[in-house]
Amino acid sequence: MNGTNPPSSAATARALEDKQSLKRSVQAAFDETQDARKLPLNNGYTSKVRVLDRYEVVGFISSGTYGKVYKAVGVKGQSGEFAIKKFKPDKEGETIQYTGISQSAVREMALCSELSHPNMIHLVEIILEDKCIYMVFEYAEHDLLQIIQHHSQPTRHPIAASAIKSILFQLLNGLLYLHTNWVLHRDLKPANIMVTSKGEVRIGDLGLARLFYKPLHSLFNGDKVVVTIWYRAPELLLGSRHYTPAVDLWAVGCIFAELLSLRPIFKGEEAKMDSKKTVPFQKNQMQKIVEILGMPTKEKWPGLTHQPEYTQLQSMSSAVREAGQGKTGLEAWYWNTLKSTGYQDSPPSASPGPQGLDLLAKLLEYDPTKRLTAEQALQHPYFTANGERVTANCFEGMTTQYPTRRVSRDDNDIRTGSLPGTKRGGLPDDSLTGRATKRMKD
Amino acid sequence: MAANYWASTQRRHWQFSRESLNEVRQQLEDEEKTIVQQYPLPDRRLLSILFNQLLVKLGKRLNVKQQALATAQIYVRRFYSRVEIRRTNPYLVLATAFYLACKMEECPQHIRSVVAEARNAWPEYIASDVSKLGECEFYLISEMNSQLIVHHPYRTLHEIQDKLKMAQEDISLAWSIINDHYLTDLPLLVAPHVIAVTAIFLAVTLKPTQTGLQAAASTVAGLSSATSGANDSIGTVSGVPNTQQKKVQYLVSWLAEGEIDIKAVVECSQEIISLYDVWEQYNEKTCKEQIARFVKARGLDK
Repeated sequence: MNGTNPPSSAATARALEDKQSLKRSVQAAFDETQDARKLPLNNGYTSKVRVLDRYEVVGFISSGTYGKVYKAVGVKGQSGEFAIKKFKPDKEGETIQYTGISQSAVREMALCSELSHPNMIHLVEIILEDKCIYMVFEYAEHDLLQIIQHHSQPTRHPIAASAIKSILFQLLNGLLYLHTNWVLHRDLKPANIMVTSKGEVRIGDLGLARLFYKPLHSLFNGDKVVVTIWYRAPELLLGSRHYTPAVDLWAVGCIFAELLSLRPIFKGEEAKMDSKKTVPFQKNQMQKIVEILGMPTKEKWPGLTHQPEYTQLQSMSSAVREAGQGKTGLEAWYWNTLKSTGYQDSPPSASPGPQGLDLLAKLLEYDPTKRLTAEQALQHPYFTANGERVTANCFEGMTTQYPTRRVSRDDNDIRTGSLPGTKRGGLPDDSLTGRATKRMKD
Repeated sequence: MAANYWASTQRRHWQFSRESLNEVRQQLEDEEKTIVQQYPLPDRRLLSILFNQLLVKLGKRLNVKQQALATAQIYVRRFYSRVEIRRTNPYLVLATAFYLACKMEECPQHIRSVVAEARNAWPEYIASDVSKLGECEFYLISEMNSQLIVHHPYRTLHEIQDKLKMAQEDISLAWSIINDHYLTDLPLLVAPHVIAVTAIFLAVTLKPTQTGLQAAASTVAGLSSATSGANDSIGTVSGVPNTQQKKVQYLVSWLAEGEIDIKAVVECSQEIISLYDVWEQYNEKTCKEQIARFVKARGLDK
């Protein structure tokens, strides 16, 4: 994950499945470390602010490799709801130790403190208390994963075309802000895109984000694998060392497609890292892309032959998935998807239409240098088609009521120590297990 | 913002006026009157020279680039604007700032190697237990409100060196003047691009004879008057070797076109020149002894 620390015991979402989970209240997760405060070390650090003096934890939201997220409400003058991300502290035996903060946590803390935009999740404060880091964020009621799942059950029914347009516009707007500030997000996926109850889109989870302005080391060093595999750009799959903001726009294309079809467009299976920790070529994932987009060619993507894993491509089947009526793969996929999800042809505003396809094709462009930038994407006619305007509230005019975020009040595994079988080399990638677990939970 | 200095936490939270910085420091000292009187310390700039040398030592051993050292120095200066130095173990604070800066500048070092190197260099002051440094990291981040992204003048220098058609030796000299400015309070007082322009200005005027300070000082005076008058008054500046006049003229007309606050450049130049004056009084041994006194007496190394 980074060169700073030994990979901290990776508690993935699988923590929830752990049968041996100790059942303790959510509050206890915060109480657990409170005793240490009574024994201040010589010249030791003590926080001036205490989490529990300011927030009352009301439930558990989710967990990941980094730690856990809790829902809280403000107390003593603080009003409103909050999401508190508690980084998993390092333990030696049963005692929590200071072992140095991971580089990704440092980056996230620094970037969240620095950035501020209506389409970015808002950081309220960071509290460093009793060897633990708490990042307090505004609370967002929904996220895109949740919304997509709501539309998949009990029967598949489409997300309103106007909502998708608004979501995509706001997402690109937030991304433009990040990119103009030389920040790559690197982990855009439906679960990381929050939506408030007012229909405002907020990009969240800067855990993998980093500055790309002339880094001292190549962006390739340190984090060898980036972006949840289904949303990973082809140049990354082909081993590119110099990736660019274009990787985030590929992910936006995948998210757009997923909003339309309610299923990941390129649902590959991840090849795991071997014991030597060499990064494997993600053949299956690349195959899924080729099935829809066709094999990339050096005519359309001149840089293709310089990709480190170029030779791997030749071993792959170039069979494009059945694409009847003389249409190209993506075009066929698009119209079939609109039909099967249930978009109506009229009025024109009920469908993402031909402009939606054009935008999607330009986001899912193989050549990263030709792929639309966030700025160009925002200018795309898709957003102005049929004389419509993009709404700032993606729920505007909608009758659908989305369920509120599931928050469990008790019976959580709040252990903060190592979990069995979760140590992994390289970047954690909880896309597969994470998704499955999330379904279980929801 | 990360790319925009004007919207950055650096400008919004870590840029002081000289008065407000003095006030903040006075307040810290007032809160710790006894120890402040008991343990006198040398000029802040002399301490900074020591700190810089200590950091450079760590940086060399671990092969870390200058920008990370610069960030570490900013962290130390910010931290000591919030915490009275006599309440801390400066060696631990330096090692921690170094460790944190390396992560932020994307050249991370393992905590164990930082502790090992620091302990190797200053065995009396650094415990072998990494948790001390880990704890100090919490302290640093907390006092800095997690505002860890630092804008440096190096970037501006890099951006304008070609526009100004600077010679390689001038660029190197400007670069080392930027390195030196971290020994002063300037990073807490002025915007990084003003520092960069000051460094370029000093580099161009100090060269090639290195007759140095006097020439630069008189050029500063000349520039100062040039701000109110026309560009051509720079041609009459005394103390600048003839060959340099063209370069200086080019620079001044460039400055006049832009939005650079020339008065600020003048003040920065004076600050840097007086740093070089103070530098002559630097005595590593005295500095170390004065630090050792309060660290040892108060058991801060434990």
